[in-house]
Amino acid sequence: MNFNEIFGAFGLQSTSFLFQLLIVLVKIAVVVAITMLHVAYATYFERKIIGHMQVRVGPMRVGPHGLLQPIADGVKLFFKEDVIPSNADRTVFKIAPLVAVFATLSSLAVIPFFDTFYIANINVGILYLFAMSSLGAYSLIMSGWASNSKYSFLGGLRSTAQVVSYEIAMAFSLVSIMLMAGSMNLIEIVQAQQQYWYGMYLIPQFVAYVVFMIAAFAETNRTPFDLPEAESELVAGYFVEYSGMRFALFFLGEYIGMIVMSSLAVVCFWGGWTAPPILIELIPPLAMVPGIVWFLLKVYFHIFLFYWVRATVPRYRYDKLMALGWKILIPVALVNLTITSIVKFIF
Amino acid sequence: MTLKELVKKVLFLEILKGMALTFKMMCTRAVTIQYPKQRRRIYAGFRGRHAFVRDAKTDKEKCIACMRCANICPSQCIYIAKKKRPEDGKLYLAQYDIEALRCIYCGYCVETCPVCALVLTEDYEYSAYTKQELYFTKEKLLANWDEFASKQKEETYFNKFWRPDGIDSSKMPKAKREQGPVPTRPVVVSEPESSPEKNEKKETD
Repeated sequence: MNFNEIFGAFGLQSTSFLFQLLIVLVKIAVVVAITMLHVAYATYFERKIIGHMQVRVGPMRVGPHGLLQPIADGVKLFFKEDVIPSNADRTVFKIAPLVAVFATLSSLAVIPFFDTFYIANINVGILYLFAMSSLGAYSLIMSGWASNSKYSFLGGLRSTAQVVSYEIAMAFSLVSIMLMAGSMNLIEIVQAQQQYWYGMYLIPQFVAYVVFMIAAFAETNRTPFDLPEAESELVAGYFVEYSGMRFALFFLGEYIGMIVMSSLAVVCFWGGWTAPPILIELIPPLAMVPGIVWFLLKVYFHIFLFYWVRATVPRYRYDKLMALGWKILIPVALVNLTITSIVKFIF
Repeated sequence: MTLKELVKKVLFLEILKGMALTFKMMCTRAVTIQYPKQRRRIYAGFRGRHAFVRDAKTDKEKCIACMRCANICPSQCIYIAKKKRPEDGKLYLAQYDIEALRCIYCGYCVETCPVCALVLTEDYEYSAYTKQELYFTKEKLLANWDEFASKQKEETYFNKFWRPDGIDSSKMPKAKREQGPVPTRPVVVSEPESSPEKNEKKETD
């Protein structure tokens, strides 16, 4: 590439700090822009898919087949009045939605979209993702507490308990992946999956995958574990008192969280940007397909799974949610981890 | 817990069954009717906006002010005033009002009318901003008929409730028993030469 010639004219060398910084900034801009577009159309497809599953048609009026609906929604939310309750803790109230977006957006930094495109390649990628997803819980607690409303408060409390208990199961299910790959680096995890002819950890670690997906539903507060925002009981849960842009930020956080969890599932269990080696052997032209296509296809499948489950399963009762987390998922993940360690030790 | 139940629970069989159903439903056609663009088919016996049938011979309503509809109306929303004609001393209909906002669209008035003067048409898009607009006077009821009749595709119209099922027609009044389909197009009464102008006039009314 003639990057050096182009940037050399501005006195930048490809090895210089400024050049590296510029590259990272451009990457961040690209990732954030594409993610925002995905979030906008994730809301559209959620309404469309759930609509069709309920034998309705979903949004139809704004643009052909309602394709401009997310833009209309965005414009509406942007110009809506921003209401802060008079007894709310104003500072915390304003920070909470920012924390929600910050935590999920910064999770995107370590996700390898394809073999040469990632913002940061760190050796503790999985650990970093855990840290960021638990940071997201703070936004729920902060908004619930600062709103000074009983619904928000209950929603905040519920989310704390839920996220704390499901994080353990999720972590245990991913620990077995770390053991299999011998690394916490997400790129190395993807590369390690290439040793199998099917190119993914999904088959040897199927139990971990199921535990991970159930925990991911709980972590992102999606149905059937959307107790923090249970509409029928808590109106909208922790963000009852939010309106306009701040409300939109919570929504953004939720959807980016969904994308991050889907990406994590794809990277750790579905072989990331790689196609199964057997498939490429059988149909050689598939080797030409760029990695991002495989990655996105797998991510879209997981996002579809989120919608699909939402359209099918009703909300759990709170004690059942806790029982499922502590009495079933954590023991199952632990047993799976033990077996994985033994197998790994023997072979 | 038996082994069968355990297997069922471990494999999420019930949830998977539900997901299979939702997926199957996603592949079927949606039942939504995109209302202003598409409209639902109206079945015979639909009870919509009230109207007075415009009589082909007299060009007026057929009502004889017998008060049966006002008496049978469960919500008592029909008001009738009759007056004596000074020339011959006969009673005639002076005022006939239906308060559509109180009507429950039961159709008793149509069923009971001995001369088949009243009809609940198939119009259902008549929302209004004021109560006055939904207070149907004699003239408004005739105008409702003209509007409804002009939209009809067939040349004649017969309301299902004029001769309700299950009632022995020999017990009905003669006019009701012999009531046939009424024309939906303005009918020429006299002077065939002037008919085109007359037709146009009535339609613009």
